[in-house]
Order: sequence, then C-alpha cells, then structure tokens
Amino acid sequence: MGWDSERMPARTCATMGTVVSLRLGDSAADFDSAAVEVVESVFRRWDEQFSLYREDSELSRIARGDIRLTEASQSLRTCYALALDWRERTQGVFTPHRADGVIDLSGVVKALAIAEAGTALTARSPAKWSINAGGDVLVSGDAGHPEWVVAIVDPGNRSEVIANVPLGYPLRAVATSGSAERGEHIWTALNGEPSPFRQVSVFAADILTADVLATAIVAGGESTLSEMTERFAIDVLAVLRDGQLLATPGLRRTA
Amino acid sequence: MRARAVALATLASVSIVGIGWQLGSSAIEASQSLTASSGGTAMAAAASATQAAAQSGTFTGAVVPTQYGNMQVSVTIANGAITEVTPLQLTNRGGRSAGISNQAAPILRSEVLTAQSAKVHNVSGATYTSEGYLRSLQSALDTAGF
Repeated sequence: MGWDSERMPARTCATMGTVVSLRLGDSAADFDSAAVEVVESVFRRWDEQFSLYREDSELSRIARGDIRLTEASQSLRTCYALALDWRERTQGVFTPHRADGVIDLSGVVKALAIAEAGTALTARSPAKWSINAGGDVLVSGDAGHPEWVVAIVDPGNRSEVIANVPLGYPLRAVATSGSAERGEHIWTALNGEPSPFRQVSVFAADILTADVLATAIVAGGESTLSEMTERFAIDVLAVLRDGQLLATPGLRRTA
Repeated sequence: MRARAVALATLASVSIVGIGWQLGSSAIEASQSLTASSGGTAMAAAASATQAAAQSGTFTGAVVPTQYGNMQVSVTIANGAITEVTPLQLTNRGGRSAGISNQAAPILRSEVLTAQSAKVHNVSGATYTSEGYLRSLQSALDTAGF
C-alpha cells in the first residue's frame, strides 16, 4: 500500500496564535480543498468567539464586563461548564480561570476546535486525515487503519525528538504541554512551585482529554500524574527537569 | 493513589479473612485479629495462620463494595504460605475498570515504544506559536510533504 512510499502533502493555516497542519488521504490526488476550508472555518469560528486576544470576541466582552455570563450565548456557557467539569475531574488542578479571575477557556477551546474539525472531516469522507494544531494531534482511525506516527519533541533540544510513537485507534489523540515555548503558560497549582516536569505528552481516545490532562499533569506534578493515569484510559510520556523519562506501560517497547 | 492502596490492602485482609473461613476453623482465630491490623501485617499473619491448615491452591475472595467501587482479589497459597494476591476486580471512582497499575515509571529513551514505520507524520511538543512554527520540526515535515 502506498502508505510509506507516497508523499503526504500538508496544508497549513495560521489560527489561534499557532499553525494548524492538515493531512488528507495518501497522496496529493486525495487533497480536497473544500475539506481544508471546512477545517479553517471551524477554527476561525472558535477563535472569533473565545479568543482573549481579540477585543471583539464574546469571551473578551465578558472579561471586560460588557456582558454578564448569564447573558452569554448558550455555546459559551456550555463550553465554560465543560471546562468547570474538567476542573472537578482534575481536583482543581486544571482551571478555566486566569490568575486575575478572568474566565480563560483557551485550555479547552483549541481541543474542541480540533475535535469538531475531525468530526467534520470524517463526515465528508472516510479517507485518512490528521490534524495538528500547535503540537496537539488528532488522527482519523478505526481498528483497521494503519497507524500514524507522531514524533515527540525533546524539550531539551527542540530540533530533536524523544521517540516516534504510533498513533491510532483507540488512542487517536496526543497533546503535549510544557514550558518550553510559551514560557510558564500553565498556572501552577503547586503553591507556585515549579513543575517537576519539563514536558508531558498524553495519549488519549479524544483530544480534549489529552489536552486537559497534559496541562493538569504539568501543573499538578507527580501526584496528579499518578491520579490521572489511574483514572483515565491514557498513556503518558513525561520528561522530568533532568531529562529523565517516565512512561506508562502502554508506551513501553515490548521485548 | 494512597487511598486506593490502603483500600486494596484492606480488601486483601478482608478476603483473607473470608478465605480463612474456607480453610477451616484452625485459621479463624488468627484471621479474626487481622481485620484490625494493617495490610502488610495481615498478610504475614494470615500466612502463618494458614500454615496450620497446610493447604494449597488459589482462593477467590468475595466481591467487596468499597468507596472506590467493587473490589475482589484471589489469593494463591502454596504449602500454607501466600504466594500471590491478584486483584480480580478493581474499579475506580470514575467507574472505569482499571488494571492494577497504569503507573508511569522511569524508562530509557531506547525503551519507548517505536512505530514500525520510520516515517513521521506529525510532531507533538509544547504548543508552538505561529512564529515558533517556522522553526519547528512540524514545519520541516509540512514543507517536505510528509
């Protein structure tokens, strides 16, 4: 099959302060411009509603007090409720509030956009696809599909990788959190102590779980890592400050 | 985590008490005192208690409801000594059945699961900005058309 031999062209678009890379099908012939537009419009819509970098977004208007939360759209309140639900599930380590109290849904919005874009692609055609938004990856896949390969960046040297890991059913999503690129962008729950983790990658069946738990584990440290690997069907590859790796059994090469 | 370990240890004690009953009256007196002791001690005590009966085999404890869900263990006894305690049912608060451990443990880079195909499609790292993308491995992959 052409999986390994053919080139897989990627389309990219800048959105949400990062870049989305999209792959469709096996070869250039599979490229569907309309599908690309669908994905772009999904990201654009989420960004327009939830970005705190856009003064005119609904969430910015709530942050400024122009409108009350109770007057917000149903979709915004649903999204906030979902984020609060994840706060509960992570014992408060993941939070949809900035240190100054402003509601910040950036911790779930990118993942929700990726998930919606994936659903839209699946509805359009059964072909293979993968979406990578700023390092958070979701791929098509059912039990019969060949695996996608995702490289996990070495946080100590971002032009190197730690491992090339197969990605596919049932764990179709991976998200990585760390402090390497955007500074300490995760509010730590450890009383201001630095996270023991330089970087945490979480593999999950859906991108929201992967994204939220990667953030939570970086913020919550080793106790959160233990708690989350126990409670959720995830695999985790964590890089400690000294470069040592921790991995769940599912990411261990079988002898 | 600690809470679950305690619950499991307690459960093991409870099951051993139950198994003590199966093994006969000689084990009962010792087993009854187990309920008050901690998990580790309980197992040692149960082992000595069962030595009197000198039985071997695998015994399955009752399903015990705990605050973490239903739990059940089986205990393998060889010549009166407990050789293995296996959790049969372990349910967590989220309701998902969990294996005994999905704990992350130290691993060498060479031990990480590696894809059969050497071809990489995507790169996952801490979120890159639009500017950071240009310097990223993902950008290199995208440009190369892989």
